[in-house]
Amino acid sequence: MNHPSDLKYTKSHEWLRMEGDIAVVGITDYAQDALGDVVFVNLPQEGDETAAGESFGDVESVKAVSELICPVSGTVCAVNEDLLDAPELLNQDPYAAWIIKVENVSETEELLDADEYEAHCAAEA
Amino acid sequence: MSEWKRTQFYDTHVASGATMVEFGGWEMPVQYPTGIVAEHLYTRHFCSLFDVSHMGRILVEGPQRVEFLQHVLTSNVRALDLNRAQYSMIADENGFAVDDAYLFRFEEERFLLVVNAGNTDKDWAHLCAVAKDYDCTLTNITADWAAIAVQGPKSKELLTELAGGQSVTEPMRNALNTLELEGHRVCVSKTGYTGEPLGYEVYVKNEDCVWLWNHLIELGARPAGLGARDTLRMEAGLPLYGHELGLDAEGKPIPIFAVPIARFAVSFSPLKGDFIGREALQKQSDAYKRIMNRDFSDMAALPRRIRPITLLDRGVMRAGMPVYYKGEPVGWVTSGTMVPYYRSENEGLESQFTDDIVKRAIGLCYINSDILDNEAVEVDVRGKRLRAVIPERHLDNMAPPFARPIIYGTELAPQEVVYEAEPPLNLLLRADSNHLWRQKRCVNLIPSENTPSRAVQLLCASDPSCRYAEHKKVKSFYDKDIFYYQGTGFIDEVERLLVDEMRKYFGCTEVETRVISGQMANTAVFSALMDWKNRLDRRRAPERLGYVLNNHIIRGGHLSAQPMGALHDYIAVDPVTERSAVVNFPICRDNIFKTDVEETKKLIDQYRPEFIIFGKSMIIQKEPVAEIRRFVDEQKIPTTIMYDMAHVLGIVGDYFQKPFEEGAEIVTGSTHKTFFGPQRGVIAVNYKEDELKYGLWHSIENRAFPGSVSNHHLGTQLGLLMAAYEMNAFRDEYQKAVIENAKHFAKALAAQGLEVCGDPAIDYTETHQVLVKVGYGSGAEIARRLENNNIIVNYQALPDEEGFTASGALRMGVSEMSRFGFGPKEFDRLAGLMAECILHGTHIGQAVSDLRKDYTEMLYCFKDKAFTETLEDFAGRIGF
Repeated sequence: MNHPSDLKYTKSHEWLRMEGDIAVVGITDYAQDALGDVVFVNLPQEGDETAAGESFGDVESVKAVSELICPVSGTVCAVNEDLLDAPELLNQDPYAAWIIKVENVSETEELLDADEYEAHCAAEA
Repeated sequence: MSEWKRTQFYDTHVASGATMVEFGGWEMPVQYPTGIVAEHLYTRHFCSLFDVSHMGRILVEGPQRVEFLQHVLTSNVRALDLNRAQYSMIADENGFAVDDAYLFRFEEERFLLVVNAGNTDKDWAHLCAVAKDYDCTLTNITADWAAIAVQGPKSKELLTELAGGQSVTEPMRNALNTLELEGHRVCVSKTGYTGEPLGYEVYVKNEDCVWLWNHLIELGARPAGLGARDTLRMEAGLPLYGHELGLDAEGKPIPIFAVPIARFAVSFSPLKGDFIGREALQKQSDAYKRIMNRDFSDMAALPRRIRPITLLDRGVMRAGMPVYYKGEPVGWVTSGTMVPYYRSENEGLESQFTDDIVKRAIGLCYINSDILDNEAVEVDVRGKRLRAVIPERHLDNMAPPFARPIIYGTELAPQEVVYEAEPPLNLLLRADSNHLWRQKRCVNLIPSENTPSRAVQLLCASDPSCRYAEHKKVKSFYDKDIFYYQGTGFIDEVERLLVDEMRKYFGCTEVETRVISGQMANTAVFSALMDWKNRLDRRRAPERLGYVLNNHIIRGGHLSAQPMGALHDYIAVDPVTERSAVVNFPICRDNIFKTDVEETKKLIDQYRPEFIIFGKSMIIQKEPVAEIRRFVDEQKIPTTIMYDMAHVLGIVGDYFQKPFEEGAEIVTGSTHKTFFGPQRGVIAVNYKEDELKYGLWHSIENRAFPGSVSNHHLGTQLGLLMAAYEMNAFRDEYQKAVIENAKHFAKALAAQGLEVCGDPAIDYTETHQVLVKVGYGSGAEIARRLENNNIIVNYQALPDEEGFTASGALRMGVSEMSRFGFGPKEFDRLAGLMAECILHGTHIGQAVSDLRKDYTEMLYCFKDKAFTETLEDFAGRIGF
């Protein structure tokens, strides 16, 4: 599993990268592997409010649906619309295939670094 | 140690990197590293292996095994022949499913019942409780045998290769076989849970199972897990216990008839007797029939049905989501997912899959029974109402070797017409160019076609073509034919002369020429036989015919002699099997084009058929008429023997067969295949006036007119008289040339490296037909390629192929080109050109036209001066 050390992670398997004041959110390599073939991503719209620890959308694999949990509270300022037509990008390169960008970040969930996240995955498996 | 059971393949799965999950108490692979989407597509386009060893397998043996199964299952077990399987249900007293199951009969003395893994313990307890009252034994053999589902368009090829080229099973669904694969005994069934038209389930002893799995992988198959098994079965609309059977979203049991394929699994035959759930199922069946007739007044026994559902908005449906119709809740999604498919280009037989992978959100749902196909509904997907529709189906497997996705909303492109001028003039121009192409530049090799002579064609277009001449023999006038209309004296004369010429041709007593096609000839005979059978008691509904012995369509039998063809309204249903009372001629193991006479005799002894129909449309061997006539006479079996000579009517005689001398009583045929006529039919019989069965001849006349025709197409009848004169004058030289040319053409094609069907010891063929194998499923493509190169043939499914879209052969006939003067030299040249085109894709269109252009003058017709001059005078008056 590939979990880059420059990212932060949630226990619910999202990653977060700060680009200035903007939080970029995606799902981890572990998450895409566990989901299997991703066939649909249910995205929020620009301007939607997110709350740390709460769902902002969901990912459908062939097998099942999983909620996407937002690590920060704020306002959605961009959604990756490429995922609507090509949800398999989440399987192919989960760190390039970001899902949303959030601005006006007010609150942040407890985040893990790469080592802590790997330990968390190992414990789950 | 895992608390779950493991199949014989557990280590194999783990070594392949499978993700293992619990399913029905077993630790099973849900997917392999390539993922469900790739596994789904590989199954649809190549071949996947599924470990189905977790399915419960129960042997049923003992003297009362049939009685027990008839009582505990819903299907008609007595209808299950050896080496056949059937879908069935284990019902409870209320008509709900304990489980769905498949029953296999690999052996005469025992049945194998396969049930769902998660239900095995429950089923076992239920079956054992019922079996207490029967003298039979049940054995759970789940742990002793492994099972592999081998599914997908290449499955047949891979298994055939493992079997060293021997046939895996007969091509029809539910066929079984026991065979040796490299010395390992396996039981194979042509069944599956993927919707694939080509798919097998292989039962193999534990010690051989990993060998078989690995061998199939080496040949190109790939493993697929439960994930793909679920998406494939969902796309095929097949039920899964726990979703479409069992309890619904509210915890209420789902009636068996809610599942569309249930009606094939339930029999109410009086011979089946009472069985568990019968009364409740009868109510469901009655409700089902009302609902199918759009009578929704009483749906109490079947308030909802399982239907396919397609999401039109973006999203994915999942089991349990509510479905709404016009704002009202009408049921739930029972299974839902997103399935992939390869987008296809072009239409019809030219459809081709591209590399472009598309996904669609589909599922199955359990909704109110009064909702029709194509109705718009909505699905509540986690609080959002998404648009959806109830399509007829998600997938269709009637065009093997592929199961094809049916994409909702797809419409065929309008067919273009090329206009070179205003429509009336355009029609003339197009007709002219078609005529020149087919008559001057094409090599025509369709065995059911011929070109009639100029004299025949002109006569067909002359005055009688616009007249009526109904007539009937009247007893008061000593059976003189009485005509209804005036001006028909010439037509009367023509018809009498035609009957005389055809009697001479067949060497028989009576001929009926009013039927206007070979199919109509058969329909009239079948109708007459039924009429004659019932002639002594007209006050009850007439009994249909049965048993009838004929050639199975897949073994070359003529469509016009099948229950789906002309027999349709005249064939009885066997109350034991609940199928048409037809039994088919067995074929020789070493020559699938030849009837096995000894096996036929056994069948005749067993079924005592009241009617035997010889004849085929794929015919390269003589029919054993004389042998069977001798047998039924010796055994004193009352029957009627007919030879449907549609294809071989023009070669009746010394070079092929003389049906009446060999013992046929009735011959039917069409007059335009090997015979010289325009498109018509004919019926000949050899009954003498003092025979009892001369009455059958009267029935045949009556079923021709007024039974089949009022206007019997008097223009072509006139043309047929000239054709009969030609045939009787040139018969010997024409028939000799046709048979010699066919044998020569077959040998020449074989010498060119093509795989010619049939027995080389008889030069492959005894008729005008030549069959060439071009590769499974390639027949249509090769036939189209030849057409583009001015050679007209037809693609043909061989006896071991699934149907016309899977055709792997070409069927050709030499009669038309023989009539235009082709001999051994020309057929040699043609064989060389065809081999280049078939094997190497060479363009040969110009060379074919060059070959044809010197052979446009017809042989075997009248050419003396007086005849020719009179014909040309007459030609000038046609159309005025």
